[in-house]
Amino acid sequence: MIFLVILIACILGAIVGLNAPMISYTYSSYLAIAIIAALDTVFGGIASVINKKFDMKTFISGFFGNGILAILLTVLGEKLNVDIYLAAIVVFVGRMFLNLGIIRRYYVEKWTENIKNRNKKQK
Amino acid sequence: MTNKKIISLVIGIMCFALTAGICIQIKTVKNYNSKISQNYEENNLRTEVLKYKEKYDNMLKEIEEIDKKLQQEIEIATANNSELEEVNRQINEGNKMIGLSEVSGPGVIIVVEDSDMDSSADIDSSNLIIHDIDILKIVNELKNAGAEAISINDQRIVLTTAIICGGNIININGERIGSPFEIKAIGSPEALANLSRPGGILSNLKDKDIGVHLRKDNNIMINKYSGVLNFKYLSSLK
Repeated sequence: MIFLVILIACILGAIVGLNAPMISYTYSSYLAIAIIAALDTVFGGIASVINKKFDMKTFISGFFGNGILAILLTVLGEKLNVDIYLAAIVVFVGRMFLNLGIIRRYYVEKWTENIKNRNKKQK
Repeated sequence: MTNKKIISLVIGIMCFALTAGICIQIKTVKNYNSKISQNYEENNLRTEVLKYKEKYDNMLKEIEEIDKKLQQEIEIATANNSELEEVNRQINEGNKMIGLSEVSGPGVIIVVEDSDMDSSADIDSSNLIIHDIDILKIVNELKNAGAEAISINDQRIVLTTAIICGGNIININGERIGSPFEIKAIGSPEALANLSRPGGILSNLKDKDIGVHLRKDNNIMINKYSGVLNFKYLSSLK
């Protein structure tokens, strides 16, 4: 059910995004880092749904908080001439892989159990 | 169950925002730099240039707005005063002649572009590209045919315009301009279309496999000169 909703939302988002006006190039690097942050939060959300530890407040505050913090860090890095956004990318992408790992393990385990059960029934 | 519904709703909304953001970002990046180099330094330089270009465009827009405001102020100030109105009319007439106002009218549009032949097949590849001298000749011929306003890729030809070779581009009014060149000229379309006569400059270019397209148009818009005309040494004799 959740994956169906995600799929529909992604298609709708793509349609809206393709028809939306372009943003100015100066801000595109901030949008990029915000996208990575949001992507991380969404994967984290899906992983926590699977673990049955989903908390709405954490999720929503993470979505906006991470995005805004990442943008602010990028701005600060630009002012200091240090590429702080690289650190943000490393953290977010690292967590993304972690969460993806959780999701993957859950489904692999489910799959193997299904196969085991089927084999037992056949016996 | 309702809890699950709310969860899927929230995640759905976020996915929606996320994909929309990704699509906008992809579109923006695609629009600005088609080539992304692996070289870090090069990318930074490109980003810098793009940012400056954007600033420049914004400034131009601001100038345009200020010009509009000035025009409005002049109109308000000169209204109900026949003497000032006459002066204003004269200024506008003068601006039209020296290329400081946007004009429209019938004329021709000539598009010339570098030959798409493989340059390695030719002994002298400079035969395949358009030079400043070709553009100068075309402009000269257009003037001879009675063109009243000429622009090349939206660079208005005014009194002080120089057309100079700048390597693989041409400098016009100090702006760098590359192929294809779109030359707009206002004047009698029939007279201007004579440029394509056999033995003329356009047919000579065509012989060299350079792309030449000439078409008549009844309503051509020509931009105004974007620079400032400065006369330091000029004084009128009484």
